[in-house]
Amino acid sequence: MHMADALLSPAVSGVMALASAGALAYSVVKLKSAGESNLGASVEGRAPVMGVMGAFVFAAQMINFTIPATGSSGHIGGGILLAAMLGPYASLLTIAAVLIIQCLFFADGGLLALGCNIFNMGVYACFVAYPLIFKPMVRSGLSRGRITAASVVSVVVGLQLGAFSVVLQTLLSGVTELPFGTFVLLMQPIHLAIGVIEGAITAAVLCFVFQARPDILDSYAASRGTARGEDRGALSFGKTLLALLAMAAVIGGGLSLYASSYPDGLEWSMEKAAGTAEFEREGGAYDSAAAIQEKTAFMPDYGFKSAGDEGSALGTSTAGIVGGALTLVLAFVAGLLASALKKHAGNNV
Amino acid sequence: MYRRDSGSFVGFGALSGLNTLEMCAGRDTVIHRLHPFVKMAATIVYVAVVVSFGRYEVSALTPYFLYPAILVPLSETPPRILMRRLLPALPFTLFGGIGNVLFDTEPVMSVGGFAVTGGVVSFVSIMSKTVLSVSAVLLLVSATGMADLSRQLVFMKVPELFVLQLVLTYRYLGVLTGETGTLYEAYAVRCPGARGIRMGDTGAFVGALLLRSIDRAGRVYSAMKCRGFSGAYPTPRRERLGAGDMLILAAVCGAMIIPRCLS
Repeated sequence: MHMADALLSPAVSGVMALASAGALAYSVVKLKSAGESNLGASVEGRAPVMGVMGAFVFAAQMINFTIPATGSSGHIGGGILLAAMLGPYASLLTIAAVLIIQCLFFADGGLLALGCNIFNMGVYACFVAYPLIFKPMVRSGLSRGRITAASVVSVVVGLQLGAFSVVLQTLLSGVTELPFGTFVLLMQPIHLAIGVIEGAITAAVLCFVFQARPDILDSYAASRGTARGEDRGALSFGKTLLALLAMAAVIGGGLSLYASSYPDGLEWSMEKAAGTAEFEREGGAYDSAAAIQEKTAFMPDYGFKSAGDEGSALGTSTAGIVGGALTLVLAFVAGLLASALKKHAGNNV
Repeated sequence: MYRRDSGSFVGFGALSGLNTLEMCAGRDTVIHRLHPFVKMAATIVYVAVVVSFGRYEVSALTPYFLYPAILVPLSETPPRILMRRLLPALPFTLFGGIGNVLFDTEPVMSVGGFAVTGGVVSFVSIMSKTVLSVSAVLLLVSATGMADLSRQLVFMKVPELFVLQLVLTYRYLGVLTGETGTLYEAYAVRCPGARGIRMGDTGAFVGALLLRSIDRAGRVYSAMKCRGFSGAYPTPRRERLGAGDMLILAAVCGAMIIPRCLS
């Protein structure tokens, strides 16, 4: 899932680099202000622990495991495994270091694409899948069953989010011709299968550690409700939501400036085929639909209504931010609805 | 007699690349003597300029092949190493490029009587950009080395905690890969003929490696503390960026950016 420079535009790379740099800077601040870690190292001792754990992930990724009945092999991912050991902040820094070394020495992922790769493979696993899925699933107490379920679900969700980001970043860059639907249908199922395998391997390793040395698991402290675990490992829902809002604003605002200057794939194809990007239509049904759209469109053609025919960078950028916010609100409402439905179903049982 | 099945454990092959690049970084050439900041900044500008070209701009990219063509002999980097290191970068870009060939079938030019589609042109563009951008990064590493790069990061105000753990990750790669090799060897002796690790043994295998790594991290930290480690990244006096370095950087960046603006 390592993104290459050749598939990205400088604008997309730049915005994602800013987002990842922000996440890394936040992690450094949180680590410096945190107390002793579950691996026994003090604040100044974090770097050696993280360094050796980074090398461990690297070494573990080089081991191929045979997948039964398929004849193929898989390897460990590392994001959730590291987060379960070190907590989200230290694990994000560790994954970033691994990705930088992979980029510089193994040509695995591009230099400008580092921001994308850290975001896709680190931020989703450490800041979304681990605190919002893994930890809540094991909060009521660690057991082999809970660790297995939490590992598989969080690895799958982290990989699905990462794969979908790859699709969005590639399409927004405008380098490939792959249609959105085809690209999504290629990426998501492949990463679903990879996620299940990686999740199973992660679960097997964490179950082994749980049996041998449960005290070194970050979630162990959290599941026992100690102050250390609550303070250091947990990302509150509010903070995560705020961070996602800020990232959506940066990505929506930054990328839409770039998007505005190029036609999308469909418009481009129409321009090539018909010589115009927009067909003129007349007729009752068309006029009625256009009138309804004109009245309801908040920002027609991604600009302010008053911006005129030319539109403006400010309008386009604002449309990106507002669009991102609306999507998040929609997602939040959908989540509330799902939660309400789940409760309703639970009450009926 | 037991014969090691090196095909199942790919670590040693991958790490040999690390060593060869690090050996290249020890050379003393005109490129190696340049200030690390000049090389880092020039590489970033070069990659940004290369990827900024549109999907159908292939001919405009050709002058940018001069960069690796000049740097390879000047830095005495063996082209064979570059070619071998390029391979891991190809699969994903190949996937994106082939997508263009399949979906963009409109002819855009004719070569020797054969129609060439937009997809083929953009495929060539993507693959050219891949070769150029990856070569630039590999040349940066082979002419600078991890020590100089990480020192430069500290001077650029990247948090020391991050730089230090980056350096330690790099330093312990070889150690832990060796440890993994030992574990794998022991496993292979007990399971002759097995290709890779069986899924059922995964937890114990990686878990054992993990516990060994954690114990090693503890010993590493204790040893560092014994030598006076206080959490700071030890850097020698900063090498000043002279007027000559700035002039070289300006000239190199100008040579990259001006043709891009004119194309």
